[in-house]
Formats: sequence, structure tokens, C-alpha cells
Amino acid sequence: MKRLFISLATISVFLFFFISCYYDNEEALYPTLNSGCDTTNVTYSGTIAPILTDNCTGCHNSSNPSGGIILTNYSNVQAVASSGVLMNALTGKGVPIMPPSGSLSVCMIGQFQIWIRNGMPNN
Amino acid sequence: MRRLALSFLLSLVTLAIFAQDDLMNIIDQNTPSDINYTTATFKSTRIINGHSIERMLPGQLDVRISHRFGTLNSGAYDFWGLDQSNIHLGLEYGIWKWLMIGVGRGNYEKTFDGFAKFSVLRQSSGAKVMPVSLSVVTSAALKSKKFLDQSRKNYFSSQMSYVAQVLVARKISQTLSVQLTPSYVHRNLVPTELDPNDIFALGAGARIKLSKRISLNGEYYYVANPATYLSQQTYNPLSIGFDIETGGHVFQLFFTNSVGMIEKAFIGETTGQWKNGGIHFGFNISRVFTLVKHQKAPNS
Repeated sequence: MKRLFISLATISVFLFFFISCYYDNEEALYPTLNSGCDTTNVTYSGTIAPILTDNCTGCHNSSNPSGGIILTNYSNVQAVASSGVLMNALTGKGVPIMPPSGSLSVCMIGQFQIWIRNGMPNN
Repeated sequence: MRRLALSFLLSLVTLAIFAQDDLMNIIDQNTPSDINYTTATFKSTRIINGHSIERMLPGQLDVRISHRFGTLNSGAYDFWGLDQSNIHLGLEYGIWKWLMIGVGRGNYEKTFDGFAKFSVLRQSSGAKVMPVSLSVVTSAALKSKKFLDQSRKNYFSSQMSYVAQVLVARKISQTLSVQLTPSYVHRNLVPTELDPNDIFALGAGARIKLSKRISLNGEYYYVANPATYLSQQTYNPLSIGFDIETGGHVFQLFFTNSVGMIEKAFIGETTGQWKNGGIHFGFNISRVFTLVKHQKAPNS
């Protein structure tokens, strides 16, 4: 009897957590995020490369690449992005967040996300 | 003379029949009607990353310390990954013979987690024959890392994720154990509408005992949702390593392409790739303390 009671109690605790299940995604939950942030016209040459030049290529250049990662040309950026390393570093997921001085703005990270989702075009 | 020979033969046959009865008695004595439960299907409560069928006995506390270092391909400057480390600390306790619970904290997304493992079937022979052991694991994880955008309205529920797993294991022989692990992962919040909130995966693990103290373990999870739909390319986690038992401790040393140490992370968010060296060295240390002694040794 005691065993039954306690097992029911345990299961109900976990059910309580499962009941709080949501099916959210950030695009749908925060549609206003894009205000003042150009998310429609994201290109490599116009958006991604300038952010990299301003924030990343001081260390990640071809002459002395920190961590062996080069972000000065399209093919290298594309390789780092497709491996998942780029977004992990920008969001600090499992690796130290980049840039070390402080993360990029939410808008910039969103632009990287969009560019990667669009298939990382060289445009 | 013939009669004598016949009676001699007859007495021999009778003796032989009596002897057979004795033999049956001996066999009966040696095979009691008890149930023989299979023990030590795996050495630890984890195969490598994921849960194994093993559980803590009632009153036993397992203190677990786990590390995953950086990737091997990060080069000499980062000492092939050993400069970075992701940690997970866990306290896991056996409440009854059929239930263990655990809590943990990892620095991967600053996550708190808790789980309960229910032992439903146990592999046995003898009076009751059960070909496999079966357990159910449910867990919940709370990501406590701050959202990058603090200006928007962030919800508590967005930090939660849940996992349910069925573990089916069989100790095939003294040296070989195998396990299948159908798994379901739910994330409350995902980055884009392309990312699935629900992930379905099938795990497979095995242990080959090499010596009394060392075994070779392997573990793989096949993630059913096509990874190309995700906003971030993810790969199926594959891990290979050794369990080393040294009186009281179990050391698990291995290579894996995942940094996550909880199901939500290694099933859904493994970004490392074996073929280009995106492999992490890692270890788990398990130390079991007996907090409550039971007078009668539990039938394990």
C-alpha cells in the first residue's frame, strides 16, 4: 500500500512537470524581435563579413589563427558555420562564448542564424 | 547358470534405476526453485552518456563526477581540447529495489536536472525465466543560463526540457551485455520553427568484459528527426570507451562527439563529428556510499 502510494506520488511529480509542456519557438514567440534589426536582407558580403571583421578577425585571421579557426574568407567561415562551432561559440553553448570581450548583440546573432538557415550563401 | 546371470543382470538394472533416482535428487538439490536474477549487466548506472539498466540498491548513494573536454581537433594551442572542460556533478540514490532517483548540475547551459529510474522487469532464470531487464527513465532539466536577450519577456517554461526513455537490456553471456533505448526528448522552446520540439531517438549500447576489472563499452543514438531540418546541424552521438573498476570506484574513460552529459543535450544537441576530429575525451567517476545498511542482503 505504502509502495503504491509512493510510486503514485513520484509519477505525479513527473507528470506535473510534463503537463507544463510547451511547443514554442523563438520566431513565433517573439515576432517583434526583428524591429530595428534587418533580418530580411542578410548577405555574406553585406552583413556577415562586416560583423566578422569588426569582432572576430583580430584573432581568427590566417596569419595566426586562434584555435586554428580562420574567419577572414568565405570558405573558412562556411566550414566553421556548417560544423556548428560558429553558433556554439556565439551563444556560448558548450564552449567559451565568443567574442571573449562580450557576446554579440541579439540582432547580430539572429542574422548569423538566418544566414546559416538560408544555406550559408556566398552573396 | 543362465538363471543366475539373469538375476544378476536384473539386480544391476535395479541398482541403476536407484542410482538414477539419486542423481535426480542431487540435481533437484542443486537447482532450487529460487529465481536467479542476473546481476552486473553493466558496471555502472551509465553505459557512457546514457543510462544503463543498472540502478542503485536501496540505501546506496552514487556520487558522480563527469568531464567532457574540448575537441581533439582544436590543436596544440588548446592542448587538443584539454584546456576546456564541461562538467556535470550528480547525486543518485536508491530508494527501493525498483526505484532510484538522482539530481545533477552541469555547466553546459548551467543546467539543473533530475531523474527517476523505475525497474519494471529483471532478467532472471530458474523458477522464473525473464529474457530481458526493462526500466523506465523519466527526467526533467532546467536551463539556468540567462537568455541573451533580457529585454524580451522570457518565460520560466522556456527553460524546461523533458526526457522519457525505455531501457531494454540483456546480459547475453558473462562477457557480453547489450541494451536498446528508445528515447523521447521534449524541448519547450527551440530557436526556429524548423527545429522540432519533440525528438525521437533509438539508442543502442553494449559492454564487452575484457577482464575482471576492465570492460569495453560502446554507445550510439540514432536520432530519427532529420538533422538537416534543424537550424543547427547536429549529429548522432557515438561514444566508445573503457570502464575500469578499482575497489569502490568505477572510472569510465571514453571518446565521444558530444559535450552534453544529460539526454536532452547529447541526443538533441551533439554538434561534434567523428570524421573531422570533433571528438571529446571524457570521463565519469562513480563512487558508491552505503548510507542505509539493510539487515537482509537485497536480492540483487
